[in-house]
Amino acid sequence: MVWADLTFIVTALVYLIASVAFGAHLTAASRAQSSRFANAAPFLLGTGVLMHSSHILVASFALRVCPVEGVHFAMSVLAVGIAGVYLVVRTRFNLNALGAVVGPFALTFLLASRFAFSRVGETASPIHRALLPFHVAANVLGIALFTLAFAAAVAYLFQERQLKRKELGGLFRRLPPLDALDRAEHRLLLAGFPLLTLGILTGTIWARGVEVGDSASVARAIFGYASWALFATVLLVRAAMGWRGRRAAYGTIVGYGFTLAVILVYLLRPAMTHAALQPGDASQASAEVAQP
Amino acid sequence: MVVVGLSHRTAPIEVRERFAIAEAQLGEFAKNVQSLDGVSEAFVVSTCNRLEVYAVAEDGAPSPELAIIETIASWGKQPSADVRRFVYTRLDRDALLHLFHVTASLDSLVVGEPQILGQVKSAFECAGHAGTLGPYLQRCVPRALAAAKRVRTETSIGAGNVSVSSVAVDLAEQIFGDLSQCEALLVGAGEMAEAAARSFGKRTRALRVCNRSFDRGAALARAIGAGVATWESLGHELTTADVVIAGTSATEFVITHEMVNKARRDRRGRSLFFIDIAVPRNVDPKVHKIDNVYVFNVDDLENQVQTAQERRQGARDLASSIINEELTAHEHWALSLGVQPTLVALRASARAVFRSELERTLATRLKHLGPEERAALEQMLDSAVSKWLHRPTTALKEAAARGESQSLVEATAALFNVETEEGTETRDASGDEDAVRH
Repeated sequence: MVWADLTFIVTALVYLIASVAFGAHLTAASRAQSSRFANAAPFLLGTGVLMHSSHILVASFALRVCPVEGVHFAMSVLAVGIAGVYLVVRTRFNLNALGAVVGPFALTFLLASRFAFSRVGETASPIHRALLPFHVAANVLGIALFTLAFAAAVAYLFQERQLKRKELGGLFRRLPPLDALDRAEHRLLLAGFPLLTLGILTGTIWARGVEVGDSASVARAIFGYASWALFATVLLVRAAMGWRGRRAAYGTIVGYGFTLAVILVYLLRPAMTHAALQPGDASQASAEVAQP
Repeated sequence: MVVVGLSHRTAPIEVRERFAIAEAQLGEFAKNVQSLDGVSEAFVVSTCNRLEVYAVAEDGAPSPELAIIETIASWGKQPSADVRRFVYTRLDRDALLHLFHVTASLDSLVVGEPQILGQVKSAFECAGHAGTLGPYLQRCVPRALAAAKRVRTETSIGAGNVSVSSVAVDLAEQIFGDLSQCEALLVGAGEMAEAAARSFGKRTRALRVCNRSFDRGAALARAIGAGVATWESLGHELTTADVVIAGTSATEFVITHEMVNKARRDRRGRSLFFIDIAVPRNVDPKVHKIDNVYVFNVDDLENQVQTAQERRQGARDLASSIINEELTAHEHWALSLGVQPTLVALRASARAVFRSELERTLATRLKHLGPEERAALEQMLDSAVSKWLHRPTTALKEAAARGESQSLVEATAALFNVETEEGTETRDASGDEDAVRH
């Protein structure tokens, strides 16, 4: 576990430095300094992704756990997913500045993975257990895309507010153009929605199979369906009535809020349903197989 | 060094245009200046806002500014008395400081504009090709260019746009990103609107002119390579355009809240940006409250220009301190030229002594050594000389930078029995630099 711990610490540090570099890109006094940070920050984040991937490999080999079968690892893979998706789409949608949101998110999910907790799904049948990787993988990738859509929506609202108030400071010029943010937010939602749908479907089948009925599972299901309904509404209303910009951004933010609530329930589940076990015992937690 | 010039600060455009020198002729003009009595080096900068002649006078020669003014006058075919009314002259440190300020764009009409750096650089290259540069200009112009680059990277001197048209284009780019996919509509055919439309016309996919008088609108559209729309179709045009530049002389709102609200339904949420440069305003300010619609009038745009100018002015202090730093470093180098002959002589003397001893040893006790071993010994000797002279060299240079080198130079000459040939090496800056570099 020494290597796993070492790669974890290095990854967290690199994510932290990348986040600071993205922040400095937005706040640097001169344009030249800002562009120096803008060049360095994605490189740092990319290094973080590589380090993080190696951490997941080392840790999952050491513990003999599939990276998409436990909440502990799923949370970690989510951090890689968010940063990875950002690195892939940032030049296509001109979203470099959103690294200032993505970096801290990746770091948060990485740290959360250390404290996330799993327990055995004792009542699951082999067929239902087979659904688990699909469920986790679809949700992880979907949430990564929604995280970026959320970041784009927040940046859109900031840019739009500055324009309406006619207060066009340095940050306004360093964030992506308004329409680029709106377009990116829409396409990221479009890409993430089928994955969320798959995640919801597999989760529903699983829940029926294992007859889960505790309060955490119910809360998770409610938040999951609510986020799906909200994202569906945002996409539908945009297609049918041309609702773009501010309204779509608010819808995306609220939808993502429900998604975060699902993740929060996963993180708080030990406290809600499994008080006997000590949260933070990562090695013990990781060795167990998760419920979805 | 002397600089003689005329710029936007001293001469109106009617005067400046008479003396403008094309880039291809800069070298020739610099040669004319260099051929003047007492001038050893020359360098000429000519832009739309200034003509400046930098010259280095030979030691003991009178300052050549009057002769330079005559040269400028004869180039512009104007009486020199007329030229004198508009020119300014700076000498020595002031001339150098002026060069640094000009290169860093602190003396420009629009402070922080980036073109001057490139213009000084090409003027320097032209002078280089013409062979009018000497060790002094070869050192101080690159230093000025380096200082200007520092000013641009370490300060916000070049931040923000400083003209109404460029601010409007910049804002549109912050809304739409790539303007090549956008359509622009010019409402009215006034001069201001035309200027703004020309800025957009080059960048947007399509530009249309919509004017109350169709013929006048069509004439303007032809002149700027745009399409034309009838006044009655204005409401429909609002459904397709992305950027609308309004500049009619109407005394009431031409574009009302109702018109835009109606167009919004067909626009399906696409952003719409109004640039209202008319006074009285053409676009109802309430339009700005509609979702995805933004209205910026002349005051809003000028506020942005003002902010950018203030930001640039705020960067001046920092820029000046950078320039002073670079100038001081340059002056230290210039002062160190005074001790170069001593350093060169000291090094030559030390090398001669060591080499003679080495040759004697190689001819006797070490005569069995092959060429490779001999080369290695020579290399070791050079290295030893450099190391041995490092401290005296640094001490002499530091004393020169403080202007206190005289006693050390005399002491060195007395202690090491070195003789210098004043005036021969002092100008050979680049060679001497290499000779004493450790």
